[in-house]
Amino acid sequence: MQAAGPIVVLEDVHKDYPLGRTVVTAVRGVSLTVQRGEFMALAGPSGSGKTTLLNLIGCVDTATSGRVTVDGHDTARLKEKGLTKLRLERLGFIFQSFNLVAVLDVFQNIEFPLLLQKKLGKAERAARVNEIMERVGLSKQAKQRPAELSGGQRQRVAIARALVARPALVLADEPTANLDSETGERIIDLMRELNRAEGTTFVFSTHDPKIMNHADRLVRIADGRVVEGTN
Amino acid sequence: MGTAILMSLRNLRQGGRRTVLLMVALAMVTLLLVVLNALAAGLEATMLRSATTLSSGHVNVGGFFKTTAGQSAPAVAEGARIREIVEREVEGADYIIDRVRGFARIVSENASLWCALYGVDIAEERGLRDVLQITEGTLDEIAKPDTVLIFAGHAKRLEVKVGDVVTLSAPTMGGVSNTVDVRVGAIARDVGWMSAWAMFLPKDTIRRLGQMRPDATGAVQIYLKDPNRAAEVIEALRPKLAAAGFRLMDPDPRAFWMKFETVNGQDWVNQKLDLTTWRDEISMMLWILTGFATIRFFLLGLLMLVIVVGIMNTLYMAIRERTREIGTMRAIGMSRGGVMRLFLLEAGGLGLLASTLGAAVGSALALGLNAARVRIPSEAFQAILMSDTLLLALNPVNVVTAVAVITGVTCLAAIAPAWRAARMRPVGALHQVG
Repeated sequence: MQAAGPIVVLEDVHKDYPLGRTVVTAVRGVSLTVQRGEFMALAGPSGSGKTTLLNLIGCVDTATSGRVTVDGHDTARLKEKGLTKLRLERLGFIFQSFNLVAVLDVFQNIEFPLLLQKKLGKAERAARVNEIMERVGLSKQAKQRPAELSGGQRQRVAIARALVARPALVLADEPTANLDSETGERIIDLMRELNRAEGTTFVFSTHDPKIMNHADRLVRIADGRVVEGTN
Repeated sequence: MGTAILMSLRNLRQGGRRTVLLMVALAMVTLLLVVLNALAAGLEATMLRSATTLSSGHVNVGGFFKTTAGQSAPAVAEGARIREIVEREVEGADYIIDRVRGFARIVSENASLWCALYGVDIAEERGLRDVLQITEGTLDEIAKPDTVLIFAGHAKRLEVKVGDVVTLSAPTMGGVSNTVDVRVGAIARDVGWMSAWAMFLPKDTIRRLGQMRPDATGAVQIYLKDPNRAAEVIEALRPKLAAAGFRLMDPDPRAFWMKFETVNGQDWVNQKLDLTTWRDEISMMLWILTGFATIRFFLLGLLMLVIVVGIMNTLYMAIRERTREIGTMRAIGMSRGGVMRLFLLEAGGLGLLASTLGAAVGSALALGLNAARVRIPSEAFQAILMSDTLLLALNPVNVVTAVAVITGVTCLAAIAPAWRAARMRPVGALHQVG
């Protein structure tokens, strides 16, 4: 069941990392709201804090201070199991380096989140995976391993894997960084198309101006702060 | 689960040479475990066969007869009545015999030796017929009065052959010395160490030598369908014999010939029955099994330790190489338990495959060695192993246990690395470089 209200709310979020004897501040007092169905880009140079923000929203990291609310859940109040469940059932991830499981083929990689969820039977899973493979244009590559695919194809697998469990929010960390510009644009177009068709919220980071132009909303980050496009 | 197994197997294959080397090591340890277990089982089987052929039943109802407090003989009166009670009360017996026991010096023209004598009715000695390999003469000769079956070792020491006459010299029940001349009726191949001090004669010859009553015997020997029931049978038999009026010695897990000093030191006279198992009768030789088990334990323990270190090292390396994959799976929603299961499955799969392979090769090796009837070159080893050929008793339960133990140890060794993988923070794992 879809909760009401914004999908992500960040309130005065700080994130510090210890680095030897010093402390590095990656995010400084960020407040940000992401509405459901948005196709939003986080833009900024390397080291600006984009990935850290995505990690905080994606519940793979915790804020030093401030509040992070994802799909109605205050993530600081969730324990490890709760965070894992939230990631499994409500979030999808797309990584810059694709991060596919090397020993599984395309079909199995896409099916993986459904297997973890243990909600669907074999036939239903197969139908769901075949449908998403069709949408991202990978039906013919179902039995191929990641090593046998091009960069663009791998990222399509990653997108299909992120979407197969029908999450409320997909987080993509520089999804086009390892792709040539043409393939990168096609990937963003695909994400956009899926955002419109499924109503899935997308938040992606990029420092490529061409890519950020595809977003409905652009939030610029610099030195761990939002400098443009807060709400 | 299917995908997890698939991932584990493919990851193992991905490991390449590292996986192969570890598999070979695990397979070798399993092979060794299977072969050593088969050797130990073979040793025990040989001991059981030798003991139950030469000097003992699975259960023995023997005893001592004392004419004075300090003088005993390994004989009991009313042998027929004891046997009747045993035949009536013991369930699960394969067959029952009785043997007259004695000791004598055997004197030939050129040499002499001390030996235990067993008086037998050769017609009812099924075990002897199955096990003894007669090299000279025939077993049926021993049915004739004043004959003796000796072993090849005796024949060599006494420098006698079939048809030669030797003299038996022994003290009687009354304490005086007596002699009987007997003819060598058959010579059998040695049955390990125990045959060095056992000879078989007709019952009446020993009775005459020891001047015993016609109903005297040494022990009623019970051969069970399941030898493991021996202790249980003794427990059931003791009260029945006591109720029939026989006096019983306290349980003493030693061979009858080791008890003379104890019995002579006690102040009772006449007769007491002594119930023993085959293990009691060869208790003095159990050190061989114990010693072999100890060596096996330390050798395999050491190898297991090497395997544990190898498994841990390999898994730590695999986890380091796949840190980002672990981070990805955790980000996607795999639980800590799921990550742990994945690595345990990988180690378990490796252990199961390698140990199955090792067990198969080890079993084939054991069967091959048995079929080849490999001769043990050293007489000392022949004596210890109670056989002149290498006997490996391959027991399916032992083989399956070896596979289970190695797989289990592999899984145990994987717990710490798998735990470390499971405890990784997703964010740290995702951004691992290198």
